Amino acid sequence: MILTKKHLTRRTVLRGLGTTVALPFLDAMRPALGHARVIDRTATEDPTRLVCIEMVHGAAGSNELGASKNLWAPAEAGRDFDLTPSSLSPLEPFRDWLTIVSNTDVRNAEAFTAREVGGDHFRSSAVFLTQAHPKQTESSDVEVGVSIDQLYAQRYGQDTPIPSMQLCIENVDQSGGCAYGYACVYTDTISWAAPTTPLPMVRDPRVAFDQLFGAGSTPDERAARRSTDRSILDWIVGEVDRLRRDLGPADRHRLGEYLDHVREVERRIQRIEQHNVSGEARELPEAPIGVPDSFAEHVELMFDLQVLALASDVTRVFSFKMGRDGSARVYPESGVNAPFHPASHHGGKEERVLDFAKINRYHVSLIPYFLERLRSTPDGDSNLLEKTLIVYGSPMGDSNLHNHKRCPLFLAGHANGALAGGVHHRAEDGTPMANVMLSLLHQLGLDDVESFGDSTAPFTL
Amino acid sequence: MTDQRTPFAQPARGLAVATLRAGISGRTIIRRSLATPSTLVALLAASALAGAIAPSVASGGGLPGSAAPVSAAVDAEPHQALVGRYCVRCHNDRLERGGLTLESFELARPELAPEVAEKMIRKLRVGMMPPPGAPRPPEAEIAALADHLETTIDTVAAADPDPGRRPFQRLNRAEYRRSVEDLLGLVVDVEAFLPADTVSHGFDNVADVQGLSATLMEGYLRAAADIARRAVGDPGAGPAEATYTVPRTASQLERVPGAPFGSRGGVSIVHAFPADGEYVFRITLHSTPTGELFGSRAEGEQIEVSIDGQRVALLDLDPLMNEAAPAGMTMETGPIVVRSGSRRVSAAFPVRFWGPIDDLLAPIEHTLADTQIGIASGITTLPHLRSLAIGGPYRATGVFDTPSRRRIFTCRPTAAAEEIPCARAILSALAERAYRRPVDDHDLEGLLGFYRSGAAEGGFESGIRKALQAILASPHFVLRLEQVPQDAVAGESFRIGPLDLASRLSYFLWASGPDAELIATARAGRLGEPAELERQVLRMLGDPRASALATRFAAQWLRLQDLDRLHPDALMYPHYDQTLAASMRRETERFFEHVVRADRPVLELIDADYTFVDERLARHYGLPGVTGSEHRRAQLADEGRRGLLGHGSILALTSHATRTSPVLRGKWVMEVLLGSPPPPPPPDVPDLEQTEATAGGRALSVRERLEEHRSNPACRSCHRVIDPIGLALESFDVTGARRIRDGGVAVDTTGTLFDGAPLAGPADLRNALLKRADVVLTTFTENLLAYALGRRLEVSDMPTVRRIVREAGDSEHRFSAFVLGVVRSDAFCRSRLDPAGVAVADDGAGNDPARAHREGADR
Repeated sequence: MILTKKHLTRRTVLRGLGTTVALPFLDAMRPALGHARVIDRTATEDPTRLVCIEMVHGAAGSNELGASKNLWAPAEAGRDFDLTPSSLSPLEPFRDWLTIVSNTDVRNAEAFTAREVGGDHFRSSAVFLTQAHPKQTESSDVEVGVSIDQLYAQRYGQDTPIPSMQLCIENVDQSGGCAYGYACVYTDTISWAAPTTPLPMVRDPRVAFDQLFGAGSTPDERAARRSTDRSILDWIVGEVDRLRRDLGPADRHRLGEYLDHVREVERRIQRIEQHNVSGEARELPEAPIGVPDSFAEHVELMFDLQVLALASDVTRVFSFKMGRDGSARVYPESGVNAPFHPASHHGGKEERVLDFAKINRYHVSLIPYFLERLRSTPDGDSNLLEKTLIVYGSPMGDSNLHNHKRCPLFLAGHANGALAGGVHHRAEDGTPMANVMLSLLHQLGLDDVESFGDSTAPFTL
Repeated sequence: MTDQRTPFAQPARGLAVATLRAGISGRTIIRRSLATPSTLVALLAASALAGAIAPSVASGGGLPGSAAPVSAAVDAEPHQALVGRYCVRCHNDRLERGGLTLESFELARPELAPEVAEKMIRKLRVGMMPPPGAPRPPEAEIAALADHLETTIDTVAAADPDPGRRPFQRLNRAEYRRSVEDLLGLVVDVEAFLPADTVSHGFDNVADVQGLSATLMEGYLRAAADIARRAVGDPGAGPAEATYTVPRTASQLERVPGAPFGSRGGVSIVHAFPADGEYVFRITLHSTPTGELFGSRAEGEQIEVSIDGQRVALLDLDPLMNEAAPAGMTMETGPIVVRSGSRRVSAAFPVRFWGPIDDLLAPIEHTLADTQIGIASGITTLPHLRSLAIGGPYRATGVFDTPSRRRIFTCRPTAAAEEIPCARAILSALAERAYRRPVDDHDLEGLLGFYRSGAAEGGFESGIRKALQAILASPHFVLRLEQVPQDAVAGESFRIGPLDLASRLSYFLWASGPDAELIATARAGRLGEPAELERQVLRMLGDPRASALATRFAAQWLRLQDLDRLHPDALMYPHYDQTLAASMRRETERFFEHVVRADRPVLELIDADYTFVDERLARHYGLPGVTGSEHRRAQLADEGRRGLLGHGSILALTSHATRTSPVLRGKWVMEVLLGSPPPPPPPDVPDLEQTEATAGGRALSVRERLEEHRSNPACRSCHRVIDPIGLALESFDVTGARRIRDGGVAVDTTGTLFDGAPLAGPADLRNALLKRADVVLTTFTENLLAYALGRRLEVSDMPTVRRIVREAGDSEHRFSAFVLGVVRSDAFCRSRLDPAGVAVADDGAGNDPARAHREGADR
């Protein structure tokens, strides 16, 4: 099926159903409101927006043959790189915003013990943004590390109504998704608020929309709903105290966790209300409907939502899982009919490696849509692409061998001036991807973080 | 698989190390003469009953200790010799094949290393050990060894039953939806509110992986707000839009269930209208890849919108519709006045001609699996509906009577003084059902607080709505907390309270909360009476809500959800579409439902000579005389089609888009029916797709390619076990249709099963399974018990599983016997308090799964 651009944009045009949301921050950033802007320039204002995107199964260019053909990393380091043979070629129009970091390894996704051998698909996703080694367990005692998006959100996301948001594309409830003694949650999410706290990812665009902008048709209706929600949450806190008494110690502890989350929701509502005090209503596109049939349509809808949320400063941090390990999805638009996982086991044969590169290229080709939408969204006297850091990568390298060397990774956006763009950095052999993430944390303002995952030193970007 | 491992090795290395359950060595083992099934029953029944009187006896804390009995050691000698002769040649300290050594395994005291013993029992019972090619003792000796292991372990366990424990459960998506439906008579789309449930060992209700998060909390809050509004009705509701999409691969040639007769295609759904008012219906149609209306050559096509069977709009399709036009492929009705409540809305095409379409070439069933197929000239194409959106209410005028409102408003205040008593009556009735227990004054006071604040803003109904919202969001409703009795002792087991037992029962059998009768029985303290418990279980199994056992338990056990991820190649399998897939899924669910409802022997799942089909599926299977879209019972003349292994659903979900997968089919049988899944493949094995697809100028069949694949020694050790099972089913194609050729080569279904039995096709495979009936029944019971308990089973649960299977044998293995066995078990009726001083941070402590991994890599 061919999807026309028009088709997608019409889905997102205003339909006049009266959906509105307050957008105070965006307006405060406008030159016309220069006065407000001065007042608002406090330490946390004008922050960098962070979007971390994971694609699974590595890339054809991570294979030795693929690397020699520059199917991912361009041949040239520095500014004069040629994207033509690479799966990154769809990013050519955005090369000035592109920072490729090639040849880094995700060592913590490797097997450490004999029991872990072969379990790469069920471990990798948990490593991508944490760069930590997941504890092999099928029970609830999961443990890996805090993910980079959460480190940032915990420091700089607390002023927005929603500190961070987690989105995904693939279903999580199919069997065959996890094995080798790993809990499914390691495959289901890339965001970890604490080493033992995975965050669920939202797949339905409608659910994401309601979470970001609230249910209710008018600002008054939203406000009324929020106040009811708050009174219910208050009441729940009291009820929990009463319920605790009749439980065993483990359940009492679990109920305590429940209470923490109740309090977090309360805090979110409070922050929305603080934001809205000076807010101005603005029309929003129609709420999206269910999960689209098509992969591309679904991904683009999720990008629409992210742009919208960043523009209205509902949140500043997204993690977005675009694939799922072991997925047998076919991407007909890529021009290859082999299912994703079988295609990733290309056996090192040239023809099949090239086919897999086409699938990688297809995945990358969905990113320019996002970049273009960010670039065309004004933010103060600049635009969102200037203010945003996008991290796109995979915790696997050569998917045929399940290794984690030469893993795909690129950054996009100027990250508020932290990245110049238009450059390809080729890391020394054996450089941990964690080094890049450590540097990114520093660039994002967390300069007190001394190490991240298995990092050995910051990576000069 | 690497060379060092034998087939079906579990990756765990530590299993060989004998694990001692604390304190077990200090207890008497009951003499074997006691351990006949009937005495075991009596013993367990007695211990269950004794729980109320003297919990310490049932929890086994006080039996006097002594050394291991001499008699067991004597009895174990021949078995020790057998193991020494046949097993230790591979499973020794040096080779440790499959990560297992039996060199120091004491056959007289298998309970000292329960993981090892259970692993042995499993492999011996299913016949996978000794492996093909290795010397094999007579079957009777293998059986005697397994008997010995089971009897010894079960006897020890009976003396000290361990009910296990799990953290509290929360309502998952399916349970939430069903609970709300039972409470308010309202069907809600929970996927729009709650995050997807994490699956563990195949089931979505496993307590210790049910995460709690702020996102989930918000989901419960939003759901409560939305459902309370819809149930009570909201005259002040602002307009909102809901969209229902039709999958591209759904057939739109036939009438859709629920749509008016004489219509074709479109969509028919039940939509909850929040208030009386005006609504707008927006219809979007499918276009061709170039942006024209798909099926534009069919002139005079119309769409009828109907509500509860009454036409409310008839729209003419404009054949010149185009994506490029401002309206695109969308048409809209004018404002239509609709009364509040759940109503069936259909948007469908009136049929304009009858009779077959005689094209030379046509997309089968006229689905849009590929729009390119349909647009060639000479093909009759008809417009296809893409989505129906319902927007409103505009100009809401009030709220009409609805089933939900009738259920909620059991009284109506006619004077101000009556308002509070009426609110009190309504809310206590609602809360009692929702909380699954009687409510007290404290509960009511909290809810009346919400009532008062709501009533102050918008009157009586608004007050009720707000309190209902609080009920639905409260931990009393969404969490299933179980009380610990005051006198419970740390580390010991206790009988759960009658109301908690009622909830366990209803969520097991109905996936929803208990009804009034069950609550009343529990409150009267009668659930502890065995006869009354049995009466309640049988009553519940006869209730329509027990269909949850088919749509939730069986569907997950059999992996039916995997059907959603199969999209057979549209050009190779044009007969397959979403309509057929849904029909296949329904077949399996209806079949299982029948086994539940008619209380059939569980083994009929394997060899029933009947099934349930609708017209479409009957055509697919070649069964004559079935018309219409209702599934009904059909007799199977085809031997090979019998039982689950002849179901299109199972055959399709174990296939790839372009070819069958004997590997997936073999793995499915080993995992789902035999409880012995093969280990996942190591990462660097070549994929089947990499073997040459042609040789000597002709295409190779899947079988030939597999044989090529198996010539690799790294693959052979496992695939010689997996593949023959799947190859026996090669006479079914990707979509479960019968076939005699594969890629031009005659289908060959012959092979040798792991235990040496020859296989010539589906019937032989079925008989081989029936020969191992105990293994199939044990696997079924393990799954049923895990689903009922909401936790993964541990080795300590295996005696319970075996007891359930044994006892069910007295009732011809009828379905109800298994359910009763589960319900009467200690695991179901009892719980264990955490030992004092245990770190509470680790809720899943001690849940080291003994079973091989259920989810495997799909290669």
